Amino acid sequence: MDAPLLAVENLRTYFYSRAKRAFIRSVDGVSLGVMRGETLGIVGESGSGKSVTALSAAGLVTAGPGVISGRIDLQSNGSRRNLLDGLENYARVTEQDGRVMAVEKDERGWRRHSETLMAGVRGKEIAMIFQNPRSALNPYSTIGKQLVETIRLHTNFKGERQARERAIHWLERVRIDSPRLRFDNFPFGMSGGMCQRAMIAMALSAEPSLLIADEPTTGLDATIQSTIVDLLAQLKTETGITTLLISHDISVIQRLSDRIAVMYGGTVVETGRAAEVLAPEATARHPYTAALLASIPSAETIRRKSYLQAIEGEVLDTIEVPRGCRFYGRCNRVTEAIRGNCAGLEPPLGEVAPGHKVRCWLYPAAGKP
Amino acid sequence: MSRTILEVTDLRKDYRQRRGLVSMLTGQGRVIPAVDGVSFYLRENETVGLVGESGCGKTTIGRTVLRLTDASSGRIVFDGRDITNLSRAELRPLRREMQMIFQDLDAGLNPEMRVRDILREALTVHERPSEAEIAGRVRELLEQVSLKDSKLANFPSELSGGEKRRVGIARVLAVRPRLIVADEPTSALDISIQAQVVNLLRDLQKHLGLTYLFISHDLPVVELVSQKVAVMYLGRIVEMGLAENIAHQPRHPYTGILWASLADKQNTEVSLHARAGAPAERERPTWGVFDFEQPVNGCRFAPRCPLYQDKGRPAVCTDPASEPQLRDVGHGHVVACHFA
Repeated sequence: MDAPLLAVENLRTYFYSRAKRAFIRSVDGVSLGVMRGETLGIVGESGSGKSVTALSAAGLVTAGPGVISGRIDLQSNGSRRNLLDGLENYARVTEQDGRVMAVEKDERGWRRHSETLMAGVRGKEIAMIFQNPRSALNPYSTIGKQLVETIRLHTNFKGERQARERAIHWLERVRIDSPRLRFDNFPFGMSGGMCQRAMIAMALSAEPSLLIADEPTTGLDATIQSTIVDLLAQLKTETGITTLLISHDISVIQRLSDRIAVMYGGTVVETGRAAEVLAPEATARHPYTAALLASIPSAETIRRKSYLQAIEGEVLDTIEVPRGCRFYGRCNRVTEAIRGNCAGLEPPLGEVAPGHKVRCWLYPAAGKP
Repeated sequence: MSRTILEVTDLRKDYRQRRGLVSMLTGQGRVIPAVDGVSFYLRENETVGLVGESGCGKTTIGRTVLRLTDASSGRIVFDGRDITNLSRAELRPLRREMQMIFQDLDAGLNPEMRVRDILREALTVHERPSEAEIAGRVRELLEQVSLKDSKLANFPSELSGGEKRRVGIARVLAVRPRLIVADEPTSALDISIQAQVVNLLRDLQKHLGLTYLFISHDLPVVELVSQKVAVMYLGRIVEMGLAENIAHQPRHPYTGILWASLADKQNTEVSLHARAGAPAERERPTWGVFDFEQPVNGCRFAPRCPLYQDKGRPAVCTDPASEPQLRDVGHGHVVACHFA
């Protein structure tokens, strides 16, 4: 089997809460891989660490201490490079019982070093689209100008004329009507959906190896959301672009992903093929995934006007992380046989079926890493 | 049958957009009809869902029926009394009966007040209860919204999203309202918390006999909580009827598209189609924003309407003299389309 295009290994990205004088363990030991040509969907609630995982991969975490350990390998042009290479020279992490007690990080030094590592990677190898497209576009410059700039910088279409034609080509690819007219539009005259299309055109025009789509449909109207999802599905078939998709919307994740990772409290709690993890008849499943699926009103719930199966309690804040399973406090499937484990020991991510991993003591197979 | 608590007739709300110094000084400017002739009613203890895309006027309706903004024309009757033109002083006693839950979780939560004081303020704004009564009511409110006592000492910034929402609801309940306009009450919350809040709102309705105007873009939730649903497009109601009929037997093409866009995202079968190359039927016209600068010619949905295209662009759809009006198609189901 090929090596993944992007491999994240044991990534930890922490922030510091001055008010609580404690670390916010946003990403707390995440490992995942995105194979060439596939879409990996990360789903989770706010604070689960899904966006910070993506930002770490793009070298865009600016608050301290930020990334404190792990590696992020990116395959490009046949060679592999670790985007966190040399991190250990800048960050000294003091741990006690597996908990981080202190981090001494030369943030300025690391940032400078990280920028050299990311040069030629971000924007070129890894392109991103964000939740709020309007804020990611330059309001003072036309859509066309911004596209041309990207194209001339990152591709072989160096000539002004050539790049212009290429820009129009990309506007067509993202189904923007009358691309030649839109070329001279400023972002403010365009609708949210149109801005998102322009943003997607800009990201893809650099011909990146990896596209990171961070909540690409959030904040758009329902009908616009579905057209953007349609567009992403079509571009996926047409270009075969490898995508890391982040969304809190399970239906978007389900529609676009080949494999998914469910995140909770800074860790991956379940990962596997989308069809398997989200299949209604799936038998092995993390209680959190099951509860997430159950809290969306089903046709049956609506018909009977019954209550929604809510997950009790609050989303875990990653400051006071419990010793045992992070979902234990809200879990409705704890049995007496496993309670001791759930309360005291964090379960490892274990394989319950080929390629399907679950972090839960319910599954004996998961008990053995 | 329970009685009508709110009746809205031909409600209009225009906003005036002023551009530049001249129009600012002369007071002239473009008129944007955010709500353009809307009629509906709410029966006691019932929920009417209001759906539509952003900018269609949902929130403006909510604010106008509560008289948080003044209507440009039309009639709003609350509990048998015409409140359209009541003065602020006359409205004051009615304010407690009609409340709003805002989309913004922080709305109404003074960041410098503890939860206890926020609730106390709400309890004393219309009445002068004794200290013992206040304490009793605070306890009751906490119980109603399932919030722990320990949260009373917290400032809003120390609460999670779900807790803020609960305090916001408790604050609204403090004045014992009968009608609540819930404007996107769950959209700022995480999925697992959304379900808690939906359950809570339904419980409260059952126990307190509340009436809801439920504004949301979350179609499954609207279908779940509402008896009736009104679908809005560009300032008008284009279809209204029983929730299950709107969701499963829509008569207006726009309603069909709204619910289909939901199914599109969820349905994996559809996605397999998309992977195999999009069939022609899925090619939709580009969804732009409505341009208020262009006059409305006939049906305002025509520029985006698949039925209009299928029928070979009938002239009646774009005839300025025949904008489709709501008409009854049976079972209290009304629809504004020439071909429904």
